[in-house]
Amino acid sequence: MTPEEAAEWVSRESSRCMFCGFCEAACPTLPLGPHRAYGPRGRVYLAGLAARRGELGAEGAAGIYSCLLCAACVERCPARIDIPGLVRAARMLLAEGYARAPGMVPVRVL
Amino acid sequence: MPPRASRSAVLRALREALGPGKVVEDEEIVRLYSREPEGLEAPERPWAVVFPEEPRDVSAVARLAYKLEFPIYPQGSTTSLSGSAYPLEGGVVVSMERLRRIRSVSLVDSSVWVEAGVRIDDLNLELARRGYMFPVDPASSAVATVGGAINSGAGGMRGAKYGTMRDWVLGLHAVLVDEEGTTMFLGCRTLKCRQGYDLVRLIVGSEGTLALVPDAYLKITPLPENIVTAVAFYRSLGDLMETVVDIKARGIQPYIMEFMGENSVKLAASYARAPIEAEGSMLLVSVDVNREATERVLGELSGIMGSRALRVYTARSLEEAEEKKLFQVRRGLFPAQVEHARRTLGKDRVLVIIEDIAVPPSRLVEAVELIREASERLGFSVAVGGHVGDGNLHPAIGVDPEDPEMTRRAREWFTEVMRIAIKLGGTVSAEHGIGTLKREGLRMELEANNALKALDIMRAIKRAFDPKGLLNPGKVV
Repeated sequence: MTPEEAAEWVSRESSRCMFCGFCEAACPTLPLGPHRAYGPRGRVYLAGLAARRGELGAEGAAGIYSCLLCAACVERCPARIDIPGLVRAARMLLAEGYARAPGMVPVRVL
Repeated sequence: MPPRASRSAVLRALREALGPGKVVEDEEIVRLYSREPEGLEAPERPWAVVFPEEPRDVSAVARLAYKLEFPIYPQGSTTSLSGSAYPLEGGVVVSMERLRRIRSVSLVDSSVWVEAGVRIDDLNLELARRGYMFPVDPASSAVATVGGAINSGAGGMRGAKYGTMRDWVLGLHAVLVDEEGTTMFLGCRTLKCRQGYDLVRLIVGSEGTLALVPDAYLKITPLPENIVTAVAFYRSLGDLMETVVDIKARGIQPYIMEFMGENSVKLAASYARAPIEAEGSMLLVSVDVNREATERVLGELSGIMGSRALRVYTARSLEEAEEKKLFQVRRGLFPAQVEHARRTLGKDRVLVIIEDIAVPPSRLVEAVELIREASERLGFSVAVGGHVGDGNLHPAIGVDPEDPEMTRRAREWFTEVMRIAIKLGGTVSAEHGIGTLKREGLRMELEANNALKALDIMRAIKRAFDPKGLLNPGKVV
């Protein structure tokens, strides 16, 4: 999958979120983080933002990278959104420099 | 009202008062606190989200809001479905999520002292270890917070037996938006309390428009010894409702009494993959019993429910009900509504609009019929379900948010359902609240009751608590 294709998928998949928040109940990182970006509801929204804008701030990127990919949230999601898939794809977009984030060096230039 | 002080002055003052890490102004993070389900989005982005960690932080924010004149919006987990929590006029969101300590539990006093950000299910986990529970159980209880439930006056499946938040809040700390950010303890720590006018019940359900509530004393109750359950399917809604009447007439007081219309059952059954033959309308009844009474009550219940039903499934305990997946169809309702909307609209992005009316249970059949007619007329496939024990209905439709014509029809549907509730002697909101979505509904209901003056009284109360109108402006009244 090219970054462009991944971005398109992230944008579409994240747009299915209704923001009900049910996923947050199962997330092990949310209670330890400073705000909603450390939970699935926040990550889904931020992944979509990164794909659409082609950039993400440091706080948002930290939220995306705080995910353990445990997938506990998936069972809770009434829309059955592929939340771990979104997080992985968002990390790929950040790592490849498709979406820029402060402090992140795209792997391609290494 | 436009804020007086500049954004930078407000943020500086907040950072100084609260200390590091409690004021977040990152635009992307602020966006996460600017939205609610039902497609609600802040028309004007707030300046920051603040995260009080101590009750005194809440007071500091209230004092600064008064001094510098900026609006503040208290938030729990924003699951009320009424538009009561999202910001409207910029300002600052006050997220209570870091106030999440259970301060004390007293079985002798039948009370628990909890902070606003504690989730209801987390509280119940703690209480269950002691054989107790907090019985108000909104559908979102896994994430809904105590503070959010207080603000929205939440109810739930057990409402017919246990009532709503207003029946379970003994006392609370109320923080006023005034010169001092005054913090008062209102109500009592005792079960009985006659403290002049009942300001606690005024604040419960006020949707964060009167005072900020950092913590509260809640009443708790022992867990039932055992719970029996029966699920039955009926060819017609009339048969189902007559069964409800029979159950009530026999003096059985259900713990849970849920119903789902034919459309909802079909949707949810295909989604839930439960090993039960689901067809027609469904009635689910649980009754709490002493262990010794299990067989007698379940026998009586299944006898009544079976007399008109296509089929009945029963369970002697909650464990057995889970094994037999008796709650699965009911639990599958919301996911099924989402999936149904996606399929019928052929879109990835859909909105599921959930109504929240209540009618006297004796008028439920009429209500469901009128809602079906109205939905058909407006071109929606409606899924009806709700808490039949207290007449609370949650009809839902799927909407394509990018279709302006459909969005307009959905608004009409929303208003029409409220009209039906009023016509049948019911109310426009049973447990979700007024927020921004039902302000017109509230006016309609009061007008129908010849009580429009109540709106003036409510506005006067709002001014008495919050003279500058800075606390969650644009909501309720």
